[in-house]
Amino acid sequence: MLRFIGKRLWHGGLTLAALVTLTFFVMRLAPGGPFSRNRKISPEVQANIEAAFHLDEPLWMQFGRFVWGVVRLDLGPSTRHRDYSVNDLIASGLPYSLTIGFWAIIIAAMVGVSLGLASALRRNSATDYLAGTVGVVGIAIPIFVIGPVLQAVFAVRLDWLPVGGANDGWRSLILPVIVLALPNIAYISRLTRTSTIETLRENYIRTARAKGIGWRRTLWRHTLTGALLPVIAYLGPATAAIITGSILIETIFAVPGIGRHFVDAALNRDYPLVMGITLLYGAILILFNIATDVVRATLDPRIRNER
Amino acid sequence: MIAKSGKLARWFAGTAMAIALATTPVLADDTLDRGIGSEWSSLDPQINFDAAAGWILADAYEGLVTFDPDGKIIPGAAESWEVSADGKTYTFRLREGLKWSNGDPLVAQDYVNGVLRTLNPDTVSEKGYYFYSTIKVKGAEALANGETKDAAVLGVTAPDERTLVIEMDTPAPHVLDLVGAFQFAPLHSPSFEASGAGAFIDPAKVVSNGAYVIKEVVPQSHVLLERSPNYWDAANVKIPFVKYHVTEDVGTELKRYQAGEIDITYDIPLADMERLQAETPDEVRAFPSTYLIYYSFNLSHPDLQNADLRRALSLSLDRDVLETKIVKGGATPKLNYAGGFDPEYKGPDIAEASMTQAEREALARELYAKAGFGPDNPLKMSIATTVAEVNIRRAQGAALIWKKVLGAEIEVNSMERKAWLDLFYTDDWTIFADNLVGDFAGPETFLSYMRPSADAGYGWDKPEFEVAMDEAAQKPDKASRYVELAEAEKILLDDYIFAPISIEPYRHLVKPNVKGFGTSAAGYHNSQWMTLE
Repeated sequence: MLRFIGKRLWHGGLTLAALVTLTFFVMRLAPGGPFSRNRKISPEVQANIEAAFHLDEPLWMQFGRFVWGVVRLDLGPSTRHRDYSVNDLIASGLPYSLTIGFWAIIIAAMVGVSLGLASALRRNSATDYLAGTVGVVGIAIPIFVIGPVLQAVFAVRLDWLPVGGANDGWRSLILPVIVLALPNIAYISRLTRTSTIETLRENYIRTARAKGIGWRRTLWRHTLTGALLPVIAYLGPATAAIITGSILIETIFAVPGIGRHFVDAALNRDYPLVMGITLLYGAILILFNIATDVVRATLDPRIRNER
Repeated sequence: MIAKSGKLARWFAGTAMAIALATTPVLADDTLDRGIGSEWSSLDPQINFDAAAGWILADAYEGLVTFDPDGKIIPGAAESWEVSADGKTYTFRLREGLKWSNGDPLVAQDYVNGVLRTLNPDTVSEKGYYFYSTIKVKGAEALANGETKDAAVLGVTAPDERTLVIEMDTPAPHVLDLVGAFQFAPLHSPSFEASGAGAFIDPAKVVSNGAYVIKEVVPQSHVLLERSPNYWDAANVKIPFVKYHVTEDVGTELKRYQAGEIDITYDIPLADMERLQAETPDEVRAFPSTYLIYYSFNLSHPDLQNADLRRALSLSLDRDVLETKIVKGGATPKLNYAGGFDPEYKGPDIAEASMTQAEREALARELYAKAGFGPDNPLKMSIATTVAEVNIRRAQGAALIWKKVLGAEIEVNSMERKAWLDLFYTDDWTIFADNLVGDFAGPETFLSYMRPSADAGYGWDKPEFEVAMDEAAQKPDKASRYVELAEAEKILLDDYIFAPISIEPYRHLVKPNVKGFGTSAAGYHNSQWMTLE
């Protein structure tokens, strides 16, 4: 197992290195720079600004500077948010993204798996149809539609919750968490339903039942471990994506997380901030993928034995 | 593994609690909540370049002058000023007993230090040009270029604690527009020397001299200000707290306004403009800004070298239809370039102004044909614009009008803002959906930008315009200067190097209980003038 994890970490590290290298150079191909403005400033001042952010150096040297910064865990100054370093911005935004993402994924996993199981065990019942409808609606209606609708109803009309921001404590979290969880509930419940139905048809379940093992015990000990494998495979990357902050959710609900910084930084050519967030996103995604593999390997010996 | 995830869960729960507890309980009625659009780029008064962040800074810092709710210049930290006969020297007299928010006395040298820091290359500020280009302060350019480090060369001096002198190479009646908080904030040197840039964002360290002090700063979320007891006019500051919210998404901002979370919005969604104007006309405030929209023609393009064609394109654009029927954003259509900002500036007489739109279109078709274009040989070009909705609507509208009036086939080429900025200097465009935000509400900021020597990138070589602008620059008083400027503008407009279109408005929603929000064209809305009823 340790060898398995070690190997995945090594591969993950290589992927991350490739990702940041590619991002660094591809980003420079985009026209414009962090300090291009309508109004031209004097060439001396422009040169001085570029020198202060090392933009006048050859690209390979800037890359070296970035790598050396990563080694020292210093991601450099932001060119758009002049008062802050990239480290400051991530430290300030990440807790918000993590908190919303954490609750959203917990709710999505619990509600999604329960709904999926319920519909698999009571196929074609009212429960199944209800769960099916929730699934279709959750997947089909995009966040940018459902978010504003919930805001209009629960915040503007009923005035139960704030429209957005982070000024209202836990009440500010409710709407973004629900909207972020919804499509995942839908997806997880569909996934759980399908794979549970498939697993129930497996020979080993029939064998277990034939050996006289009770229905309940077959479900918990044998069916679920098999049925949840695809759900776990989905949950790993989904968790990584969710906790790093959804750009849409953070924009619609004015959440001061890091998701919003990502787009804003790319549009403003804030190179250090883009690099910092890419590195963070990449690392989290890779780590969660590895964690997923480890969990799946524990549950399913076939995966462990793969080369 | 399990223990670890338990720890993690506790940490998450802890974070959630921290977020819940971090909110300072402030009574809603005591707080004015204002939207500021995207996040401020800096709260450092010598660095910040954003107009919206300028609101926060204008509350926290005070310049020599300040601006009343309607944008009129009134005494700020200076109680009075005198101008020398040649218009090159301004002497300001500071109020007695001025204090910083921490109680330290505020002296004239603090203002000198603010200018010195703006110009210092180590500050890496883009605002130095106010002092060496917009007005020509002695020694400013040498300091900004790093030619000298000697502060003594600067024409901003403090002969005593309450006197500040600005000496310039050329007279500039608009100097008063540039000594407000946005360009001319003082520097509290002890705290800057102690904490560097932290002196501007860390509420525990910020020392400012305005009506409010910075109390809390959360990136991407908000800045909270509290009334400063040490401000000279504190007795007349009515609202105890002001909270500036980052309102990046204009749709969300509108909902937050409707839900009562925000009292003054940063913008109004274009799609909701008409409805809101009909339903709540008193709450919609749309008034001209210093944001000028014009479509530039690429003078190096063979077809566009023909001035008749450029004039045909300009004449045929029905600006009223474009702005009121198509864009519907409340912009003010215009045929001139530098007029409409300062009512005292009358501008040149131009032929187009006295024609009806039908006459303009008839002349346009004539010129279009004269330039060699017609139904068999239509003009084919594209408008380079950013992806902002208002800009795309305007470009599509213009293309439609040009199609209808001239039969020209104009495409809309929209792109991301930075790509659009970059494209301009590559020269690989034909019609550029251009804009310019004036440094103040007067004609000169726009006209000086067009000087060929200012090298704004239009490839327009016109010695006569330079001469006319130089002549205007020698006039110390506004009235005679404006006469000269109008002559210069005539030279500019007669070449049709661009088609002036409109002045973009500011669009705000203001709650009925907020009083004292005016219509400043320069966009200054100090919270100290406002009350909550």
